[in-house]
Amino acid sequence: MDRGMVIFLGALLTFSSSWLGLVLFPFWQLGGEKPYQKDETDDPYPVPLQGLALAGQKVYQNNGCMYCHTQQVRSERFGNWWDANGEQRTGADIRRSYGQRRTVSRDYIYDNPTMLGTMRTGPDLANIGVRNPSAPWHHTHLLNPRSANAWSIMPSFAFFYTREKVVGSRSDKALSLGREWTVNPGYRWKPSAKEWDALLAAQGPALAAQVGLDPASAEGKKQLLDYWLTTPEEDYQVVPNADGDALVAYLLALRKAEVPLPEAKE
Amino acid sequence: MPAPLTSEMLEANRARSAAERAAIDASCRGPVLAFAVSAVFWLLMGSVLALIASIKLHSPYFLTGSAELTFGRVRMAHLQAVGIGWASLATVAAALWQMCRLSRAELIYPKILYLACALWNVGTLLAVFGIIFGDGQSVEWLDAPRYAPPFFIAALGIVVAWVVAVFRRRREPHVYVTQWYILGAVFWFPWMYLVTVFMIFWAPATGVVQPIVNWWFGHNTLGLWFTPVAVGTAYYLIPKIIGRPIHSYYLSIIGFWALALFYSWAGMHHLIGGPIPGWLASASTVGSMMMLIPVLAVAINHHMTMRGHFHRLRYSPALRFTVFGAIAYTAVSVQGSFEALKDFSEVAHFTHYTVAHAHLGAYGFVTMIYFGLFYYMIPRLTGREWASPLLIRVHFWCAAVGITVYFVALSIGGWWQGRMMNNPDVPFGKIVTYLLPYLFTRSVAGVLLTVGHLAFAVSFIMNLAGWGKRRSGGPTFFVEPGG
Repeated sequence: MDRGMVIFLGALLTFSSSWLGLVLFPFWQLGGEKPYQKDETDDPYPVPLQGLALAGQKVYQNNGCMYCHTQQVRSERFGNWWDANGEQRTGADIRRSYGQRRTVSRDYIYDNPTMLGTMRTGPDLANIGVRNPSAPWHHTHLLNPRSANAWSIMPSFAFFYTREKVVGSRSDKALSLGREWTVNPGYRWKPSAKEWDALLAAQGPALAAQVGLDPASAEGKKQLLDYWLTTPEEDYQVVPNADGDALVAYLLALRKAEVPLPEAKE
Repeated sequence: MPAPLTSEMLEANRARSAAERAAIDASCRGPVLAFAVSAVFWLLMGSVLALIASIKLHSPYFLTGSAELTFGRVRMAHLQAVGIGWASLATVAAALWQMCRLSRAELIYPKILYLACALWNVGTLLAVFGIIFGDGQSVEWLDAPRYAPPFFIAALGIVVAWVVAVFRRRREPHVYVTQWYILGAVFWFPWMYLVTVFMIFWAPATGVVQPIVNWWFGHNTLGLWFTPVAVGTAYYLIPKIIGRPIHSYYLSIIGFWALALFYSWAGMHHLIGGPIPGWLASASTVGSMMMLIPVLAVAINHHMTMRGHFHRLRYSPALRFTVFGAIAYTAVSVQGSFEALKDFSEVAHFTHYTVAHAHLGAYGFVTMIYFGLFYYMIPRLTGREWASPLLIRVHFWCAAVGITVYFVALSIGGWWQGRMMNNPDVPFGKIVTYLLPYLFTRSVAGVLLTVGHLAFAVSFIMNLAGWGKRRSGGPTFFVEPGG
């Protein structure tokens, strides 16, 4: 192999084979897929994202959400375990409610970029808009995931939220979270012993009267603090900014693997 | 070498060869050092980003509140810094220098290559900071914002032209196996990069065609850009350092062509179980299993070449790094072939097991071989020996222990993560909690790796600053052949 031409032609032919097979052929096979409609009266599926949800896709993309969350459901043949009776069973993704069926290429025809993901540090999100359709829950979870699940290692996305003084009445969008999550958004806040003593001196009796605890005893003082931390701040509120609203709109619009498709039998 | 040469003729031959090598090294000096220095800079940047990302996975309040340093962005920036920065720039340095050496040809118009190096660095800078400031693309391996690819394409164009130009000006009629690998790499990488950037960003393909093209690229970046140049480097360094020819020419031919054919077909195993046509995943499973042929061919060839010379690992830093890398190549490739099987992927996919595998490949294999190359090449370019064996020792042990701990911890944790995810009766929170000690261990490993990189960078800077003793010219080895 002392001739450049032999190496060049060999490199060309070997790589062309995979280019044709793995890139151009799928491009030709999958490039023209259309939405599915059972009959004329049926709504087409899937539909393109619009408006706020489309903007949210960009937020999801720019912040690398897909590096911890997949958007693909594996078929009944995948994911096997032994149940309590010692029987082997399969189909973990569907059993975990990630979708009613496996996802197929048609689920993604309007996705751009198509963020299938390769990692499940967090759960799959293909159908999160169906699995958990509550916008307030997603907001509180994004602000600080520990407010929803103590074990969570997901980052706090406090930069999608603004803490502001309440002017007039509280905003409809304000997150209903206790002050421990809102005083220092993204973290879990607790007053120092000194601050707590000062607070107790000022409004302790009124507070204690509300819940019937005795701030004089050490136990009562602690219980009162725990209670107080779960109550919302009086003068401040935390509201989503444009990115936060968009991201939650996108999450709620993720409804893959819920509409039956003829090609997704298993 | 013909037998009847007299000792004076031999001596004259040696002197002539040494002078020729010195002239070639002198022609490469500036550009290759520029690529090498940039590579090490991005290695340090990548290490810092890696540490931040790693710590965040077990301590989510670490640096919370900053959009710029949120996990997803840092994760993307890390891959750009080490993949497009460190590993690719080191690949270019390796390709340029070895192509000149093996072609016995000087680098012509070396100054244009400074431009290529500058473009590449600007591209990487835009990629890393573009991602940090919110323009990441969430396309694995191609997260760089849309304004970065033109810089890489221009830089790549120059590098490829120069490598081919050097090859065409070769004075050495025999084309060595390393040159095949380098020619393959500089031909394949621009092809796949252009195709992928076109089909994902410039004229986005529909739906799942994007991840298909994405993984064709992602896997081939390792398989047909880093791997050929790194394997070629091992083919160059091992015989050079121990002073004996490669064991089998025919095995090296099998290894090269089987790699060219099968590696390019392996990429779809990243999408096993995914929403792609079944035949695509099956084709890649076949390609991945067939990879056992080139991998074992290279492993046998390197092992047989090294046989009887393993004691030299005690003396030669370059050899020690290179042999570590070559062994990791065999290990990671055999592991990768089996990971492509459905039953294996079913557990390992979507878990840290895959992360461990990727790092054994990109670090244990590619990076370690490039460290070996740098320890061999840099003194020949600067004319200075390494000043401190202690720093090299620190570097080696931090890197070797670091990557081993990293690999073992995430492989065990990742495997059980996959088994638990496959059992829907195990709540997700339990899996997250289970992984914490493994993720913490990974951060410890990351600290070790970073300390090693710092030792390496200090060594490198000292060498550039002229702190080492002068090389006395001629072909020197860390251990003289036969000595």
